[in-house]
Amino acid sequence: MSILNIGTRALQANQVALQTAGNNIANVNTPGYSRQTVVLQTVEGQFTGSGYIGKGVDISTIQRNFSAFLTRQSTLASSTQAADTVRAGYLKQLEVLFPGGANGLGASINDMLNAFSDVASAPTDLTARTVVLTRVDETAARMRSASLQLDDLQNGVSQALSQKVNVINSLAQSIADVNGSIARANGSGQPPNDLLDRRDQLVRELNQYVQTSSIAADDGTVGIFIGGSQSLVLGTTASTVSLVQDFGGGAVYNKLAINRNGSQIMLDEKALGGGEIPGLLRFQNTDLVEGRNLLGRLTMAISNEMNAQQALGLDLDGNVGGNIFSPTSFGSQNVLTPTSPGQLNTGTASITLSISDTSKFAASDYEVNFTGAAAGTITRRSDGLVVTFPQVPPTVAPILATLDGINVVNSAGVAAAGDRFLLKPFATSASTISREFSTPRALAVASPVLGQMGSANTGSLQQTSLVARSNPPSVTPVTLTFTGANSYTRSDELPIPNTTVYAYTAGVPIEGTVPATTPLSQWSVTLQGSPKAGDTFTVSNSVVLDAAGTISLKLNSGNATAMMNLRDKPMFDGAVLSDGYAGLMAQIGIRGQSANYAAEVSTAVASNLEKDRTSVSGVNLDEEAAKLLQFQQAYQACAKTVQIAQSIFDTLIQTMSR
Amino acid sequence: MSNPSFARLGSANSYDAARSNLMTRQTNLVNAQEHLTSGKRVNTASDDPTAAAQAERALTRMSRINTDQRALDAQRNAITQAESTLGDVNDALQIFRELVVNAGSGTLTSAERSIIAGQLQGLRDQVFALSNRKDTNGQPLFGALASALTPFVGPQGTAPDYTFKGLPGQTASSEVAIPFSVDGDSAFMHQPARDGVFNASVSTIPVGRTLTTDNVVVTNTTTVAATAAAAFAATGVPYPVYSISFTAVDSTTTPGTTTATYTITETPSVTPLGAPAPFAPVNISYPSNTAVAITTIPGLSFSFTGTPAVGDTITINERPSIFSVLDDAIKNIGGATNNNAAAQAVSQALANIDIGMSRVSAVRGQAGDLLNRADNISSNQGKRSIQLEDDRSRAEDLDMIKGISDFQNQQTGYQAALQSYAQVQKLSLFNYIS
Repeated sequence: MSILNIGTRALQANQVALQTAGNNIANVNTPGYSRQTVVLQTVEGQFTGSGYIGKGVDISTIQRNFSAFLTRQSTLASSTQAADTVRAGYLKQLEVLFPGGANGLGASINDMLNAFSDVASAPTDLTARTVVLTRVDETAARMRSASLQLDDLQNGVSQALSQKVNVINSLAQSIADVNGSIARANGSGQPPNDLLDRRDQLVRELNQYVQTSSIAADDGTVGIFIGGSQSLVLGTTASTVSLVQDFGGGAVYNKLAINRNGSQIMLDEKALGGGEIPGLLRFQNTDLVEGRNLLGRLTMAISNEMNAQQALGLDLDGNVGGNIFSPTSFGSQNVLTPTSPGQLNTGTASITLSISDTSKFAASDYEVNFTGAAAGTITRRSDGLVVTFPQVPPTVAPILATLDGINVVNSAGVAAAGDRFLLKPFATSASTISREFSTPRALAVASPVLGQMGSANTGSLQQTSLVARSNPPSVTPVTLTFTGANSYTRSDELPIPNTTVYAYTAGVPIEGTVPATTPLSQWSVTLQGSPKAGDTFTVSNSVVLDAAGTISLKLNSGNATAMMNLRDKPMFDGAVLSDGYAGLMAQIGIRGQSANYAAEVSTAVASNLEKDRTSVSGVNLDEEAAKLLQFQQAYQACAKTVQIAQSIFDTLIQTMSR
Repeated sequence: MSNPSFARLGSANSYDAARSNLMTRQTNLVNAQEHLTSGKRVNTASDDPTAAAQAERALTRMSRINTDQRALDAQRNAITQAESTLGDVNDALQIFRELVVNAGSGTLTSAERSIIAGQLQGLRDQVFALSNRKDTNGQPLFGALASALTPFVGPQGTAPDYTFKGLPGQTASSEVAIPFSVDGDSAFMHQPARDGVFNASVSTIPVGRTLTTDNVVVTNTTTVAATAAAAFAATGVPYPVYSISFTAVDSTTTPGTTTATYTITETPSVTPLGAPAPFAPVNISYPSNTAVAITTIPGLSFSFTGTPAVGDTITINERPSIFSVLDDAIKNIGGATNNNAAAQAVSQALANIDIGMSRVSAVRGQAGDLLNRADNISSNQGKRSIQLEDDRSRAEDLDMIKGISDFQNQQTGYQAALQSYAQVQKLSLFNYIS
């Protein structure tokens, strides 16, 4: 009988083997499925006098082929890939907002400044003035539109983030549920292969959104941790995550927080590792912020410079020029205070900002941390530079500190140690920029100061440039009387007669005051050529000259030239104003380029590791086909065994019946 | 169970990998095509941030050059106009001068002279109109550093008869621009010390007697400059008027020798009376009918010829502009009642017109220099523009040969990938199990 038993048992075993191969083939494309193999073992033989007689084959278990190491590596790599890819994708969108070439914002800014050239050629031509105003309006519109597009991008990111947070929460719950099922199945003595696959796949999917680490427990459950050590799933219970604002006022700088026992624990973005949510947060909190700050800085610097230059000119009616762009105002969107669940401020201080030097702007947000009422640190968020205040030399109260051309002003109240403020000086400038006036007459094209050579001059003196530093400047003319080719006296020097001799160097500016003030005031004149003794150069107030009928202010275009000269003013980390946009574009481009590289590398790594993982766990159809043949043959052979057993039995019965 | 070999492949993964490789290939092919069709190597800044910034900067510079060139065209037009206007002024002055020479002919009657004066008036009006000419944008051509809409005004009732409403001086040229206007003050206005344009007129001399002067020359520019400054400070006139009156003349006591006494009056009085007292009556003695130099006017000297008589006066007027000179010529030639007056007016006018013409020519030369300068700037800017276009192109344009070859490569690669994919996927052990 044992031969029949062996045959039947072997038939069953091979059938299971065939079934398993079939299952493998069926699940060839199932995500997360691990190839299964039947582990066969011999049934212990029966001892007889002639030794152990084999009793056939038995199925020990259905083995799930997987490598915990490779699975873990592949999951991690795909997590990093998800972060890099999502960031690169969004950076591509960000980059599109700042195109170069003739249609870019940079061309628009340069066209605007170049348009002053025609006004300089024909100050009385209202058409040329109107062209300038149209260009100003267009530039403002371009800046606003870029800002609006950044807002759109931010909205898209916020939406994506909140969706993905929901996905994390549901995945965490599913993992907790599967943990429960596995724990229950654990008692059966056989591994619940499909449940394990399912859990691995869920963990894998979870890692697409946020990188996790897992620790297996004795009961077969797995604890899932994010942000290093915060448990997301522990046994059969799952915590939830949510997005919270570190500082109030907008989505920027929000953080992932884990909710436990009614309290929210904020996770540091840097500790989150890979996954789409950290990738998106990184994009939102660094790349998008930088894009916005670069645009805001460009807008604020250009509008302030042009307004300041306008104020140094006179319009067609002889009035001091008004703002051409809406003036910068800092409001509640620019200074943010912490909101719950962050550590709230305990002091009463309120902070405002003001501009000290447009040419020193750095495209960054700042974080102020008080260690006392008027002491603490300011951190530049773009590069982490920390500046302590009070500064040396000390700033004048209520200015707490001056950093990168921005004054931080303690406008009211007293800060307490531990108080924090987030300063976003450039957050709103681009979204609120607009042209202030549309009357071409109001364009301040004339200069309030004019130079005049003595009629009797005999040297070769020529005026290279004369720029106003104050408006209105002093009405008393200042005459420089040259005492030789390299020296002169000034009529504004006291006491009279003016005896102090100043050195004259061709091409070196002579300032309107002695000594020169900081910032410069009155005027600066640059002369060239070599004067003879007795030659004079007089700087006068042009309004006075106009009133006297000596000149017509309408014909003067000194300030238009000064507006054009803004193109060459060093502004953005030393780059001239007209190159500001090229720098901005390149900076965003560099981010895009490096994100692309990172995405390519992590994709390659992830695909290699996935290949390695599937080399263990994946189903190979050819292999399964071979196995089908193998087990089919074994099955046929076993059937033959049974047949033989039957024929032996038949033979025996027939013999006995004779 | 044998250990899984390292070369084992998961079927699903190998399909996935092949599929994603195919997609990458396709993306690369599309990119290559995009580069080829746009002709650009850098389509977005992230393709090559440095090159993108370079190209952007080159574009900025080019648009700047275009702007500068356009402004330079306007400047060149203005200066060309100024230059040719000065040429017209010169021509008019030349004709004026010829007519003045004609008027000096002793055979002319005063009626004929007044006809000539009429012609002269027309020429003077022409010169004056030319001096106030504006460019196409309405800017005065001779506006110097700044000026009123009409820079030259006159004749005025009080001295100076003509003034330049503006700020004298010349703007320097820069590397990319030349001034919009030339210094009209330098072209048309006269300075006592620099130019020494004085008109000497003689009171009416009866027929039969002559009294003429030669031109007043500046002997001491420092004194003249100081006198001019003092006169301007005192009453706002550019220079005092000197009048020389003969109070005693005797040519009969000693035959062949004339002794005379004259006094000088300075209006306004600005010369400090010190030692030697400049304006005490002066006695002179000279051989009759010879030229007598008068050197007692501070900084100036001239000589007279003829036979002065008691009551004769010689008036020395500083002429602050070319227009004053022309007006004097018209007035004195047209109003000359006899040949003596005509001869005096003609000789004064000729000398002064020559000085005026040399001023105009000097400024015309400066304008010519500016035009040369404009040509140089233009050609330099043209070269820079080409260089910048080259820079931009090098930074962002696609090398077509490389682009086409890249595209071909990608195309071949993609084709090969597709074919091999299709072939490899056909291979399966299942095909042989029947």
